[in-house]
Amino acid sequence: MFNRDTWQEIWHSIKNNKLRTFLTGFSVAWGIFILVLLLASVNGMQNGFYKQFNDDATNSIFIYPNATSKPYGGFEAGRRIQFKNDDLAFIKGSYEGSYEYISPRFNRSVSAKYKQETGTYTIVGVSPDHQLIERTLVESGRYLNKRDLQERNKVLVIGKQVQKELFKDDDPVGQFLIANGLVFKVIGVFSDDGNEREESNIYAPYTTMQQIYGNTDQINMIAMTYNPSYDFTRALAFSNTMEEVLKRRLVIHPEDQSAFFINNYAEGFSNIQTFSNFLTFVAIGVGVLILIAGIVGIGNILIFIIKERTKEIGIREALGARPIEIVKLILMESIVITALSGFGGMLFSMGVVALISPIVDAPAFSNPNVDNTVVIICTVVLILAGVLAGLIPSIRAANVKPIDALRAD
Amino acid sequence: MIEIKDLHKSYKMGSNSLHVLKGINFKAEEGELVAIMGSSGSGKSTLLNILGMLDEADEGDYILDGVPIKNLSETKAAKYRNKFLGFIFQSFNLINYKSALENVALPLYYQKVGRKERESKALKYLEQVGLKEWAHHLPNELSGGQKQRVAIARAMAAEPTVLLADEPTGALDSTTSYEVMDLIQHINDQGNTILVVTHEEDIAHMCKRIIHLRDGIIVEDKKIEQVRASQYVQ
Repeated sequence: MFNRDTWQEIWHSIKNNKLRTFLTGFSVAWGIFILVLLLASVNGMQNGFYKQFNDDATNSIFIYPNATSKPYGGFEAGRRIQFKNDDLAFIKGSYEGSYEYISPRFNRSVSAKYKQETGTYTIVGVSPDHQLIERTLVESGRYLNKRDLQERNKVLVIGKQVQKELFKDDDPVGQFLIANGLVFKVIGVFSDDGNEREESNIYAPYTTMQQIYGNTDQINMIAMTYNPSYDFTRALAFSNTMEEVLKRRLVIHPEDQSAFFINNYAEGFSNIQTFSNFLTFVAIGVGVLILIAGIVGIGNILIFIIKERTKEIGIREALGARPIEIVKLILMESIVITALSGFGGMLFSMGVVALISPIVDAPAFSNPNVDNTVVIICTVVLILAGVLAGLIPSIRAANVKPIDALRAD
Repeated sequence: MIEIKDLHKSYKMGSNSLHVLKGINFKAEEGELVAIMGSSGSGKSTLLNILGMLDEADEGDYILDGVPIKNLSETKAAKYRNKFLGFIFQSFNLINYKSALENVALPLYYQKVGRKERESKALKYLEQVGLKEWAHHLPNELSGGQKQRVAIARAMAAEPTVLLADEPTGALDSTTSYEVMDLIQHINDQGNTILVVTHEEDIAHMCKRIIHLRDGIIVEDKKIEQVRASQYVQ
């Protein structure tokens, strides 16, 4: 099929028809190039979205108390809702298996002092689970543990920002910090990937905090993550039933929307997921359209080439070329051109993407990338389709009576 | 060698049909040099195209070298053209991006002759038409006469049974025309059968037999005393 003579025919014809070779090659390479950039852009947008939501665990649920808006069960509207330790225990007991981690939050603003340095910070009383919900990274020392909780240890894990402001160059781990006149021991320093404001916080065992601040069992907020094996629908169903049950437990009107808020990340994520699926869908749609445009382009150019070569085809037929040899002559040339330029365009565009991918890192557009397999499949499809598009006109050209072909000009 | 019986051909022109050949009968033996004459529209080119299997007759028989030519598939026709026929056209019909040598070698390529043999054969025929030194030139670097000689070499290269020439001198001045006819006479002297379509009396008289066509029938078919073209060539 590909002997030296065939190659020579192809080479001859390419060399003597640089413009049409360039046009064919360019349309193929351009199609692939646009396609790769499109896929990469969509990928970059998706990466950007996910990155923005990466601060907390993606399966987080936060429950904030507020005040009722409807009178119910003998209570007037406007009653403030207050979560307590037994609410937390109730959730733990009722939804075993539905949640992954759970932690209360008990916040107090304090003025903290180390040596000469002072500052105002929020101490958040939490349980050890909170590290995994908030995706806190421990830089040095350790995080809170169960013993701290049970023994109500006066220990703190401070954010990087706190360390910078109060401790300067000192290693804070093992040092003592005075908060509102009480002495705490710093056991760790944390950073938080997605959120720098978080790094000016200080974590302490919530039991310790409740004891210090009025020996109470109140909590400000409940943070949890749902079972990660749940899909969005199941996760939303979980938080919905939890909302209903909590309303019953706290004697709140079932339709009261302001007594407390449940913020389930699944909701936002399912929106993002839908949007990103939609984007992928659009990308595939536009990609298919680009491929079609490319195929039509190749077909067009081949028809033009064949028209231009009709007389030559007639001469060859008069000299004894069989129709199959005419088809072969035209198709081989177009296969070689489309394949070379298709793969050329593919390599070039992938090179461009690989080059810009690490540089681009905006909030909504990050590390655009392409799946090599997808690109290779698209290139092969384009080449095959181009060949098929050329097959019809070349067969037709080969079947023109030689006398008609010879008369063409 | 060539035998045609009651050959008819008409062309459809919209709703009208133009009857071009109205029952042609003739025979040509091996080694003949036949001129087919007639004014334009007489059907001489149509006849040659049918003889060359470039076109098909509507009716009648055509037997070439003992083989009936009828209802051929395009593949079979290509094979027969390659084996039996060599074409010389008025407008030369060389492939302009191929050198003289490659043009001459092309019919051999379609005969699946190996590349070395193809080149040596093509070179041999180029030498016969006196263009060995021009082998690697492209057609547009050659004069009209040279182009036609390349075309003749190409027609000869496949060593066909019959050479068909359609107005071979139609695009050439008279001196060059005689050179080309001289060449054609030489090829005929070697025993090749040649049919020449022409409307020029002097060219026709350089053949050995003249067939006159008028309105699609043969009105005259006579053997003549051949005028040698060499006397006009320096």
